[in-house]
Amino acid sequence: MKTFIKEAVKSIIPWILPFLLLLVWQILSFDGIISSRILPSPLAVLKAFLTLSMTGELFDHVSISLERALTGFLIGGSIGFLLGLFNGVFKWLELFTDTSIQMLRNIPHLALIPLVILWFGIGETSKIFLVALGVLFPVYINTYHGIRSVDKRLIEMGKAYGLKGVSLFLAVIFPGALSSILVGVRFSLGVMWLTLIVAETISAHSGIGYMAMNAREFLQMDIIVLSILLYALLGKLSDVIARFFERKWLKWNT
Amino acid sequence: MKVKRLTLFLTMLCTFLLASLFLAGCGKSEPDKSKSAAKNDKVKITKTIRIGYQKNGPLFILKSLGTLEKRLAKKGYQVEWNEFQAGPALMEALNAGSIDIGRTGDSPPIFAQAAGIPFVYIAAGKPKFYGSGILVHDNSSIKSIKDLKGKTIGFAKGSSSHYLLVKALEKAGLKYSDITPAFLQPGDGRIAFEQKKIDAWVVWDPFSAAAETGANAKMLTNGEGLTTDRDFFLANEEFAKKHKDIINEMIDEIKASSEWANSHHAELIKMLAPLLKIDEPSLKIAVERREYGVDELTPQLIKEQQQIADTFYDLKIIPKKIIVKDLMNH
Repeated sequence: MKTFIKEAVKSIIPWILPFLLLLVWQILSFDGIISSRILPSPLAVLKAFLTLSMTGELFDHVSISLERALTGFLIGGSIGFLLGLFNGVFKWLELFTDTSIQMLRNIPHLALIPLVILWFGIGETSKIFLVALGVLFPVYINTYHGIRSVDKRLIEMGKAYGLKGVSLFLAVIFPGALSSILVGVRFSLGVMWLTLIVAETISAHSGIGYMAMNAREFLQMDIIVLSILLYALLGKLSDVIARFFERKWLKWNT
Repeated sequence: MKVKRLTLFLTMLCTFLLASLFLAGCGKSEPDKSKSAAKNDKVKITKTIRIGYQKNGPLFILKSLGTLEKRLAKKGYQVEWNEFQAGPALMEALNAGSIDIGRTGDSPPIFAQAAGIPFVYIAAGKPKFYGSGILVHDNSSIKSIKDLKGKTIGFAKGSSSHYLLVKALEKAGLKYSDITPAFLQPGDGRIAFEQKKIDAWVVWDPFSAAAETGANAKMLTNGEGLTTDRDFFLANEEFAKKHKDIINEMIDEIKASSEWANSHHAELIKMLAPLLKIDEPSLKIAVERREYGVDELTPQLIKEQQQIADTFYDLKIIPKKIIVKDLMNH
């Protein structure tokens, strides 16, 4: 029973700060200390949320963005994983490609938009490309790092047991790198949503990135704040999902 | 060893933070303050008027001529110019009270009013519908507006082009749902148009002129009879109440600089070309089909603007109906 209460309290604590902020925010806007022109009150944002949910608009935005985000994530994540894997295992390959990848990593997506339209047009492909590109690097870097930093003694031990090649990789190197890979996944799940802000300026008609940019264009503060909150929640959700897999796959590590 | 590393890391972090702070400070737009006129005058410069402008607008011409500074110096004002890339950002600045007066196209004030931003219209620009229109490729099969049915058309959502297109379709007996809209900002629209990802592109000068000279585009129709596509001069509500005299003087100067622009095309083109990074032939087209100037806020003009607001309401671009007249009784 005691542990149960302890667990319950533990799960509440992280939410106290956001909740307090929300409360202060509401009180301040209620008193008129924060003008609704500067920052709409939480209730106004809630109202925007409810109207958008009622019309089904919000669901459309989130679902289409989710589709773009996940497709991009699968493509970019796989490429990043494979690159990280091979570069981690084969030193000469790393020498050959790593510099180029590091250079590509820092190109801002906004600057790429004209090229992306040239290459992929204004349809879904261009949006998915941008997400894939954004997701690729965190997965790549962490996979590569994970594989490089597997404990040498564990590899030695594996070899002593007669493991080599693929079996050594599957039994020792990959599990050893997994925690780092999952950090990359967790990070890229966040990046995936952020990229949509830029990707959905390309001739989009829905999506949460579109919703945010659109609200900015038309000065709808309540929807801007709603998008920000949505982003915050989606960020947290991505984190929860990644943690779930960490717990599942990294049992041996805890 | 570990401690050393930590110190190194922290030092690097601090340096980085300081550097970014410094860079952020530099990146902030440095407003040009013009005090030169003050020297020969006895009036002490005590107040500042902050103006928001966009590169391709009448206020930009006024700024380049430098006449406003001289005039307002006599009243004890110095002028601070702030450049904005787009109308909405300028409206945000009006909202935050960072600028007193600004100029945008016809649609940003409508969104701003729907958002409850405290501003008023102070004057309008002359119509400029010759430079705005629907562009198609030279060899396009689209010969009339009716042919746009079922086509993909690029334009910036909620822009004057959006309104122009709706009106053009209406006039040709088509519905908005008969076309596939592709929301694209002018820069992106140009690429999509050149790549033939869109069948038609609705845009304004100097983008349309540049596409006509450089991207094999021809104008299917311009905005004549569809829209007036005016500029609007706007002021912060508070400021407008307190400084009517300053606003009137400023409008006088806008008129004077517009007259200069209308009668000095060659100089104007030379002046604008390097700043807008648009070639002179394109700019020549744009300048020659535009008349600079100021119009009073007549009932007819208010009606025009109200129609745009109503259309945007019908298109669900603004969430509520607005009465533009409320902000025009200057």
